[in-house]
Amino acid sequence: MENIKKTYKIGDIDVEVLKGINLTIEKGEFVAIMGTSGSGKTTLMNIIGCLDVPTSGRYVLANKEVSNLTDDELSEIRNEHVGFVFQNFYLLPYATVLENVLLPTLYMGRRRDNAEKDAMDIIKLVGLEGRAKFRPNQLSGGEQQRVAIARALINGPELLLADEPTGQLDSKTAREILNILTKMNEQGKTVLIVTNDSAIAGYAKRIIQIKDGIIFD
Amino acid sequence: MDRLFKIIYQSIRAVRAFKLRTLFCLVSVALGISSITIIVAATEGAYKKAFEIVERFGPDSLLVLGGSEEARAAGQRLKTITLDDVKAVQQAFYSAYLVVPMTSMRDVTVSYKENKYQTLVVGSTSDYSRVFTWPVIQGSDFTEEDVKGLRNVGLIGQYLVKELYGNEDPVGKYILMKGIPVQIVGVLSERGTSPAGERLDDRIVIPITTLMRKLENETKYVRALRIRFVDQENLYDHEKELRSFLRKRHGIPEGEPDDFMIISPKEIIKFLVALTGSLVVFLGVTGIISLLVAGFVLANLFLLSVKERTNEIGIRRAAGAKKKDILMQFLFESVVITTIGGLFGFLLALVSSQLLMLIAQFPIYFSWKAFAVGLLLSWVIGIGFGLQPAKRAADLKPIEAIRG
Repeated sequence: MENIKKTYKIGDIDVEVLKGINLTIEKGEFVAIMGTSGSGKTTLMNIIGCLDVPTSGRYVLANKEVSNLTDDELSEIRNEHVGFVFQNFYLLPYATVLENVLLPTLYMGRRRDNAEKDAMDIIKLVGLEGRAKFRPNQLSGGEQQRVAIARALINGPELLLADEPTGQLDSKTAREILNILTKMNEQGKTVLIVTNDSAIAGYAKRIIQIKDGIIFD
Repeated sequence: MDRLFKIIYQSIRAVRAFKLRTLFCLVSVALGISSITIIVAATEGAYKKAFEIVERFGPDSLLVLGGSEEARAAGQRLKTITLDDVKAVQQAFYSAYLVVPMTSMRDVTVSYKENKYQTLVVGSTSDYSRVFTWPVIQGSDFTEEDVKGLRNVGLIGQYLVKELYGNEDPVGKYILMKGIPVQIVGVLSERGTSPAGERLDDRIVIPITTLMRKLENETKYVRALRIRFVDQENLYDHEKELRSFLRKRHGIPEGEPDDFMIISPKEIIKFLVALTGSLVVFLGVTGIISLLVAGFVLANLFLLSVKERTNEIGIRRAAGAKKKDILMQFLFESVVITTIGGLFGFLLALVSSQLLMLIAQFPIYFSWKAFAVGLLLSWVIGIGFGLQPAKRAADLKPIEAIRG
């Protein structure tokens, strides 16, 4: 990442949220981005996950320049290479656990066989065996976040992004979730957690502090 | 293709999940579609009926009735057409292959043995059954000689046969008509009722000469004249010519109304269209309004739904859905609902048209056309009014959608 800037227009005023970020994250790293609210950490994560585009600067993801791709191309990258986990889980309330986990497979460019079997394996992996037919409102917060993680993993992304993944959970459940993320990192995935809690950041191998749109060490 | 099916399945899931939205949209679309379907069916019914009537009337025929339109409307049946007119028309119009005068008497008491019945007696020539395409199925027609000789012979309608003879064969038997014995020589085939609901099989047809001289004491005037032309395509030219021909013969000055009335197939269609037209217009306006209302209900509920489901859109986008995937999902949600609404609307139309026919004796005819129009319109509504909300859903920026 070279000199990434992001400006939002709020009314007539331009608000510069990211003021020139230079950052390199290697494959397989476990990184925590820390900062207070309003520091720009979520914006940075969204850009890293191709959910948002920088106003200026260069961003190369897996040897591919992505700063000026089209909306459709960004969608494809998110679909195949990135998995998202959010603070509020964002599960579809009317769909079962299995259907929620399968969601990213709907939007794959290529045909995929055995998607359902893969989903069942991942549901087992995150410890929700036997819950595949449940609805989100029948699950606890921790279980819901596990579903969200399973959904993030289904398409086998190299990059796993988690924005305050434990913000809604008690500390015991939070530890379980973080252990899953650690396990994913050990299996070779690049994991990036956005948080303002240093205890959570402690799970990561590298901590990036961000304040007022720039990185400081 | 696989992807499209998956997205359609997502739409169906959402249609099932958001039940209240589905229900409201469904009801309003069903109401709109059903009224449109009824209109199409009613129009088709009217045309079918008009066609049937014209077919029976004879698409190559004109009927001339004595008396002006105003006089007839006032209930008078003036006799203005003479036997000489009939002869003159016969000679002047080469392409008229049948020119048949008719006259009639209502409520004539006829009796056979001790059975009595009041019926309509029609006087005409031996071409009567030909000119009305109304075949004699038992016995035989009366002849030209019968007409010339003022003979007391007659044809009888099916209804009257049952009234007077029961199961007896009427052919060859005499009935009494105002004290005159008339021999039944033939039985007319069954004809049913006229568009006005008159029983057509309740009649006796005798030579016009017999009726005029022996029953009416009339030598000059007849009530009506029926003409059939070889060249059906020129029927309306003949109608015009006939009008001026008769006006001239009757010495009617320019600007004065006709003292006769010409009824053509076009006239009959006009009458039927006027009859059904007002109902069709009324239903049409209501139908279009209710369909528009349905559309706006749909659009509004979908806009609300898009707002409510911002997170869903966000997470789908984060998971790799493209704009067009979101657009398709919402568009299909709307089309699925309107299609089901359209089908319900069609059923509703079937049921309510049964009621309508009971009350109004209104010809309604359902064919695949009414069904197709209803289905097509439901798609138009689904796409037309679903597009805007679907576009809005697709155009949400992923980060804004995630933020909620």
